[in-house]
Amino acid sequence: MKIFHKCALLAWLGIVLSGCGPSPTFLSPASSIAEHEAKLYDNILIMALVVFVLVEICLIWILVRDRNPKGDNKPPKQIYGNSKLEITWTVIPVLLTVVLFAMTVQTMQSVAAPAASANDINLHVIGHRWWWEFDYTDLGIQTANELHIPVGATVQITLDSVDVIHSFWVPQLSGKTDTIPGQTNHMWLTANQTGVFIGQCAEFCGTEHAMMRVIVVVDSQADFNAWVASQQKPAAQPRTEDEQAGYKLTSTLCASCHSLNPAETDAKVGPNMAHLFSRSTFAGATYDLNEENLRRWLEDTQPMKPENDMNLNLTPEEIDHLLAYLILLK
Amino acid sequence: MTVQTQIISKMREATQGGFLSWTVTVDHKRIGILYLLSASLFFLVGGFEALLMRIQLAQPDGKFLSPDMYNQIFTMHGTTMIFLVVMPLAAGFGNYLIPLMIGARDMAFPKLNALSYWTFLFGGVFMYSSFIFGGAPNDGWFSYAPLTEKLYSPTHGMDFWIMGILLLGFATTIGSINFIVTVIQLRAPGLTLTRLPLFVWTMTVTSFLAVFSLPSLTTAVLLLFLDRQLGAHFYNVGQGGSALLWQHLFWFFGHPEVYILILPAMGIVSEVIPVFSGKPLFGYPAVVFSAIAIGFLGFTVWAHHMFATGMPSATLLFFAADSFLIGVPTGVKIFAWLATMWKGKLRFATPMLFAVGFVAMFLIGGLDGIHLAVVPVDWQLTDTYYVVSHLHYVLFGGAIFGIFSGVYYWFPKITGRRLQEGLGKWHFWLMFIGMNLVFMPMHILGVEGMPRRIYTYGAGRGWEIWNFIETIGALIITVSVLIFVVNFFASLRKEANNEADPWDGFTLEWKTASPPPVYNFAEIPSVRGRRPLWDEKHPDLADWKVGK
Repeated sequence: MKIFHKCALLAWLGIVLSGCGPSPTFLSPASSIAEHEAKLYDNILIMALVVFVLVEICLIWILVRDRNPKGDNKPPKQIYGNSKLEITWTVIPVLLTVVLFAMTVQTMQSVAAPAASANDINLHVIGHRWWWEFDYTDLGIQTANELHIPVGATVQITLDSVDVIHSFWVPQLSGKTDTIPGQTNHMWLTANQTGVFIGQCAEFCGTEHAMMRVIVVVDSQADFNAWVASQQKPAAQPRTEDEQAGYKLTSTLCASCHSLNPAETDAKVGPNMAHLFSRSTFAGATYDLNEENLRRWLEDTQPMKPENDMNLNLTPEEIDHLLAYLILLK
Repeated sequence: MTVQTQIISKMREATQGGFLSWTVTVDHKRIGILYLLSASLFFLVGGFEALLMRIQLAQPDGKFLSPDMYNQIFTMHGTTMIFLVVMPLAAGFGNYLIPLMIGARDMAFPKLNALSYWTFLFGGVFMYSSFIFGGAPNDGWFSYAPLTEKLYSPTHGMDFWIMGILLLGFATTIGSINFIVTVIQLRAPGLTLTRLPLFVWTMTVTSFLAVFSLPSLTTAVLLLFLDRQLGAHFYNVGQGGSALLWQHLFWFFGHPEVYILILPAMGIVSEVIPVFSGKPLFGYPAVVFSAIAIGFLGFTVWAHHMFATGMPSATLLFFAADSFLIGVPTGVKIFAWLATMWKGKLRFATPMLFAVGFVAMFLIGGLDGIHLAVVPVDWQLTDTYYVVSHLHYVLFGGAIFGIFSGVYYWFPKITGRRLQEGLGKWHFWLMFIGMNLVFMPMHILGVEGMPRRIYTYGAGRGWEIWNFIETIGALIITVSVLIFVVNFFASLRKEANNEADPWDGFTLEWKTASPPPVYNFAEIPSVRGRRPLWDEKHPDLADWKVGK
């Protein structure tokens, strides 16, 4: 089917689709929902292309055949209308809308949420400006921006927002659902293959809307269990003097916004830090998480993500101490 | 005041001339010209904003604009193109042409007409002044609450937007009432509703849409104003308000608005294609009925902008079904245009090129819209570049092409000179190629997961090449617009030849001089069919003899 998509796009464009990196497209689905959506997309694309080609061929044919280069002044035959023809091109689109409606109903049934079961993973997704909070309500885990789910499991998701409207979207796993303040929305998904899938906030939410991304890691059941076990542990304890100093800073300065308790259920202003370095990215899944980037971030967050809420005035020594402790948080 | 003294006073006004006379004019043609020129300037500004965005997005991690500046620019681009360009351009054509086309001497309420124009201009300038008073609005042209609340948008940008929208809505409302009354009251003898030129019909439907949809927008922004300035809580969830209230109120205006933008262009194309095919519009009653049907259906589909907000399935399906139905009257129009050209004698002057371009491009904007009406596919594509592509095929390939068709078509009527054809063809082809280079790849970007309204994107997602091509396309469009500007001024400097009827037209505006005298017609014409000038030129083939 993938080849078909590419061909369709080619036909649509006449430009060679090559040399592009892998994009987070629902046409490479990793869940049954995205598969159904991709199939429906394809079928409608074919219908639309058929209509498009027929009408444009008809148009071009008329334009070529009936052009009047010699400037012949004799008026052409005056045709005012044709009831049969007009009824035909009214009825055919009506029939097409019936087909479209049937296709829509069918797919909506196919992607409807299954009834809740005890084996489901229950996940609470909360939109913040500009990062994602993930609370595993049954597992006592809170994390941010990087979601882990086991392959094959049904994940029942409730969505909320603490500020403005965001939209949670990982194209290869599911269509988007808005997170709306004051309204709890629901969605579900079941990944059918392991891998790393990316997405990002889809509803404009202010200055850093572009920097509110998300990564979903679909683990094997064993990997997921191991991840859960590691996330449920308390945050690492400092050992050396530098780490001690860093810990002290963390629990005073950072803790006013970032929790060190992995089982928190309502995040403070910023992401939970209990297992910060178990994640591969930070700042709304926009920068690779390593010592170098984190140092830049602690020196001044604003050049990396302008207008975010984190404004620190740290001395180089404080940064050294903080880093010494933070990298322990695996 | 008798008609004669009105004419005399108007002639005095016109002969006095001078720049200042334009500020006090109540002549529908002068007000039309003022609308057209002001909206054209805003078009250049809005286009420049689009170019800035394309420069920013040409490469991943672009640093050309700051995030907040990008957000201001995309907000103002959308607001400008909708409220300050396409709507006033249609109003400009309507003002200039409707009295001429219906054989009237002016609009029904000339002073109200002037009020409408100056309110629009003030509203536009007022909104743009926000750039020098602490920052432009930056929450997008549909400005979703609660992002627009003071807590999240503390600058005065949103306040400028609210006041600007109120002013522009006021201007449009009184202008629309004026159009409606003019068309109902001032038609020449014999010009029944079933003989009205299509442009007059679509402007009338547009005016009704504006009158009935704008109150919803006015309400929405007034409530927002109360929230922001007086501490009300209509959209403030923490205090019992509702975030989605805004979306319902806004889109109840916002979807009819789409037809407010496209119907006048459909009307223009329905004038141009018959003239340049040498045939009457095919299936006139069906085309008129389809315009009215689109007007009604336009009020029943607003929630298809909100499919991802967590509505129940039944609601989703209702709005999906209604949205599909819009395709039926739209199809009727496209087939009618094709059938009009069928076995005609086609002349490809620039107005016709843009009209045919409209048909070809608007078709794409209709077909890709199906994906967005189909709920499960929309869950993937809404709020992505696919939507940006779709709306630009409708509003650029559609509305703007239709308007340019009208500009080339009626320029000789307004100025007594044709626009230069060679430059016109360059303008058309470059704009045609440019727009497809910009907007076709947006389909792919949407499918590949690129959301709209992001000021930057990371490398390695397969988005670089398409964004780069789009920026090239934007540069080509820029060149095409510059060619038009050159053509405009060069053609104005030519000596006028004042052809009354340069295109061998059908409708009454071609019966009078170019430019028309202040009183339009020395003698009010009487009408026996849909194409009064055709009837005059071809007495044997007159519509009232051979047509239905």
